[in-house]
Amino acid sequence: MASRKKTLLKVIILGDSSVGKTSLMNQYVNRKFSNQYKATIGADFLTKELTVDDRTVTMQIWDTAGQERFQSLGVAFYRGADCCVLVFDVTAPNTFKSLDSWRDEFLIQASPREPENFPFVLLGNKVDLEPRAISAKRAQQWCQSKNNIPYFETSAKEGLNVEQAFLAIAKNALAQQNSTVDLYNEFPDQIKLTNTQKSGGNGDSCAC
Amino acid sequence: MTESSQYTLKYQHLLRDLKSTVEGLLMTQVANVWSIFGGLNRFHAIVDKIFKHGCKGSLKESAYYSFIQGLEWLQPDSSKSYFSIDCEYRPHIPSHLKTDKSAIWLYRSLENHSLSQKLSWLLTDKNHLSQCYQEYAFLRQEKYAEATLICLRAVERNQASLLSDINPYLFIQKPNDFLKVHRRCSSFPDHHMQKIYAERFNVRRRTVQNVQTELRKEAVKKVKQNVQGKLKPWNSMPSLLSVQSKISKRPCSESKTTPTTPVHTKKISPTALKVDYGTLQPASKKLNLKRNRPYAKSTCVKHIIIDNCNIVEHTPSLSSSQSSGTIVNEELMQSTISMPETKSKTSNILSQSPLNVVDSFLPMAGEKDYKKMPKKTFIEDGGMSVLPMATGYFPKPTKGQSLLSFLTSSQFSRANAELDRENAHFSISEAIISAMEQIRCKRSGKLTDDIDDSDPEIVELKQKIRLRRTKRVLEKQKNHMSSSMTSDIKSDTTTTVSPCSTTSDGSSSDDVEDLEINETSNLEENAGLSMSMASLFSEADIMKRHTRGAPDGASDIFSAEGVAISLISKFSDKQLPRASDLEWLVSEEDAPQALLPLPKSWPVSPDSAEENVTPLRGTQEWAPPRAQIIFTIHPSPVRKDLMAKQNYRCAGCSMKVASKYASRFRYCEYLGRYFCTGCHKNQLALIPGRILQKWDFKRYPVSTFSYKLLEQMFPDPLFRVFSLNKKIPSISKGIELCRKLRLVLFYMKDFIFTCRFAESFSIPEKLEELGSALTQPDFYSIDDLIKVKTGEMIKKLKSLVDICLKHTSECKLCLARGFFCGICNANEVIFPWQMRTVSRCDKCGSCYHVGCWRPGNSPCTKCSRLKKRKESTDSSY
Repeated sequence: MASRKKTLLKVIILGDSSVGKTSLMNQYVNRKFSNQYKATIGADFLTKELTVDDRTVTMQIWDTAGQERFQSLGVAFYRGADCCVLVFDVTAPNTFKSLDSWRDEFLIQASPREPENFPFVLLGNKVDLEPRAISAKRAQQWCQSKNNIPYFETSAKEGLNVEQAFLAIAKNALAQQNSTVDLYNEFPDQIKLTNTQKSGGNGDSCAC
Repeated sequence: MTESSQYTLKYQHLLRDLKSTVEGLLMTQVANVWSIFGGLNRFHAIVDKIFKHGCKGSLKESAYYSFIQGLEWLQPDSSKSYFSIDCEYRPHIPSHLKTDKSAIWLYRSLENHSLSQKLSWLLTDKNHLSQCYQEYAFLRQEKYAEATLICLRAVERNQASLLSDINPYLFIQKPNDFLKVHRRCSSFPDHHMQKIYAERFNVRRRTVQNVQTELRKEAVKKVKQNVQGKLKPWNSMPSLLSVQSKISKRPCSESKTTPTTPVHTKKISPTALKVDYGTLQPASKKLNLKRNRPYAKSTCVKHIIIDNCNIVEHTPSLSSSQSSGTIVNEELMQSTISMPETKSKTSNILSQSPLNVVDSFLPMAGEKDYKKMPKKTFIEDGGMSVLPMATGYFPKPTKGQSLLSFLTSSQFSRANAELDRENAHFSISEAIISAMEQIRCKRSGKLTDDIDDSDPEIVELKQKIRLRRTKRVLEKQKNHMSSSMTSDIKSDTTTTVSPCSTTSDGSSSDDVEDLEINETSNLEENAGLSMSMASLFSEADIMKRHTRGAPDGASDIFSAEGVAISLISKFSDKQLPRASDLEWLVSEEDAPQALLPLPKSWPVSPDSAEENVTPLRGTQEWAPPRAQIIFTIHPSPVRKDLMAKQNYRCAGCSMKVASKYASRFRYCEYLGRYFCTGCHKNQLALIPGRILQKWDFKRYPVSTFSYKLLEQMFPDPLFRVFSLNKKIPSISKGIELCRKLRLVLFYMKDFIFTCRFAESFSIPEKLEELGSALTQPDFYSIDDLIKVKTGEMIKKLKSLVDICLKHTSECKLCLARGFFCGICNANEVIFPWQMRTVSRCDKCGSCYHVGCWRPGNSPCTKCSRLKKRKESTDSSY
């Protein structure tokens, strides 16, 4: 039944600042890379259509801000995600260490039905750079401890492994969606607006 | 004869006094001329003299009372209100006038700007005038009376430009010549002018003739065509031509007449001489000549001159019938047009118009513009651009500093306060006088010294010195030719410490010359001269600056130091005493405040210790007002106590007042101090403290300083209204609503400014109109508070909130950036601005339902999570 519908996969990219989240997404969607660093504010998304197992799916990739300072904006978009991509910088050990908190925070905020089985994918980015601080082995060990998360070593700059990684992400997301399709509907309906927001125009809505 | 000339001198004297006083009053360009201290008294004294001159009444008291009484029947309806002397105004009238009814009347009329009107009424009745005044009286001289009226009007309308209407000949003419002279040639001394005329005309004669004949042919043709001669461009010509038939026979007789007694004057109708300059202007040069020609047909130069004089002599009859100021002005304009032959450029003449002949000159309109700098807001410069009337600052010369270097030093430009600069005139003039005295003293000493140089050795030495001197002069000239910056700079004499330079008393001529030689050698040694030493500009440089006429700070030609520099520029620096040797006029009680004791370990760099002494503000009894923001209301003032606290000094300028006159001082509602009438002009302003504490938007009288300060503060968000007055929400509902709306927008802006969908509706631009209110919602400017009061602010904020709310409730991205309540986990997006239902954690920014979590109770769930994680990572290291 889901196959007949146009499937929308919602993917969230998380990780510390400047690990290359935006670059990975841009490389995958636009096949472009820029050396210039520009901090992402809040969150934004790009969409990409792709074929997975003969099914055309639309992947909605949410790029997030790694910096803590954008506190005024919320993370309501975590909810209804089909897959979460965790990114770290293989040359920066701190970005690897904070993976745990990103994962925990995501599970709390997104509150999926089965947190243990929720699909994560780990990307070790910037493999083109030297020196390596986190070995592939260490990353894989962490993945095993978290219920066998798939791990990819990528380079957004050189486009290395990006395509494969996102394909795996799409597959995981699709699998997740199929398993919970009865429980969740598609994205737009998942967020329920309160009356106060819909009424919009009058002052009542904002406690004034 | 001598008597009349004596009278004329007296008239001139009176008028000059009047005019210069008026100029002085109007120079400052303040809104109310009487706010200039002593202005009214001085002006009154002069006008009083004019009224008394030649008065038939007894000279002692109420001399011209009978004259002004004429108002009662001249203008019966208005006289009562004008003429009666208000008792309640008496306290303001100087005590010496109190017995003199007419003087009081005059004072009152001047004060309420009605004298010109009254005087003109009085002057219209010649009969009355002759009854009250002698024939020689100032007011009976029509021209002088008219000039007086112009002066009065200038003061009343505060327009210095009106003074240009005064006939300049009133000042410069010799008594006898006065009536004969025509204004058109007013820019030339008359005898000299005739010569010039003769020469010029001689040269131009031929061309003029040619043009003239041509013109006449043309004109005649036109007259033939157009019998009445109505052709406009040739306004003067047709009328002359039409008369020509009558006077055509005259030329022969005319040539016989002597210049001084023209016979034909009365025969030519004055209209014939009226030239329509408005239409003639483009060709005025030629036409002027043509105008002169028709009735002096002979080619003789002499005749032309005669004719010129004739014209000159006709016009008084014309001008005497014209009494209004504007026509006089026109005449002046004409005079510049009608004389282009004698001056190379007409534009030149305009600038050198007859007004220049008068010794004083008028401030040009807009001359003060250089002072109008781009306005800074209070936040930008902390109110430093608002200067108090006085700061009591006067620079002190350093020891051994030369007078010129002291006067040109930048220290003077620091004294920017109006009164400081005025007071500098006193101090500096005193010093310059004593400097001159010292020079004179030295000179007389020098003379006696010169007598006894019989010693051949000394003579020889002197010869050498002279030679070197001439050499130096040559060198100097060379330097000037190269006109490099460094060549314009003399060395500061303080740096060339010669043994004699410090002993100023016994410096003989030899000493002086020795010093000069020292200096030249010094100059040669370091031709470039380090810039730090070169604090001195050469005379040439100073002169250059002055002629450029761009006054800036110390080089302002009207400033005290500017005047002093131009005075002493005639003397070489060596002749002048050191600045530090002079007595500077600073009395003991005006001595600046003592510095607060500095900590002993204060790090002072040995170089800067001497030079950068902080200028002290005020005196021991008084300190100038500071640019401060006052949030509170002053307790209602008790004049006696507060004046005593102020040491009976004006808070603005430290002017001392006798305690019995303390009642004249005005209270500044903003600073809570009393000010003199010079510093407090009863300007009304909103008082921030009153708005903040009592939501009182009435305007209260404040000092000029406060007014400027408040004006500058007006748009700046300086007031945290809610922390300054906790009770303000209960006083004003508007401000509370405004606070909420501003907070809503404060939260919304983060969503709107980062949303690419909002951009396409240009919502961010709309929000940006709010400016700092968006980033600092709890800061208000006075302007904001007024808008809150009028409701304008709330209206605007509401409309913005509506726009933003509509967007965020529909936008996919904004909804995605909302929050879920971390406690109840309900599937409902909440936003921080839903203040009734949502509470926000100030630390991490996450939002919860009000029912789920409230700030202050316990740390929010996210905060505690973050804390735990931090602890675990810290322990893992």
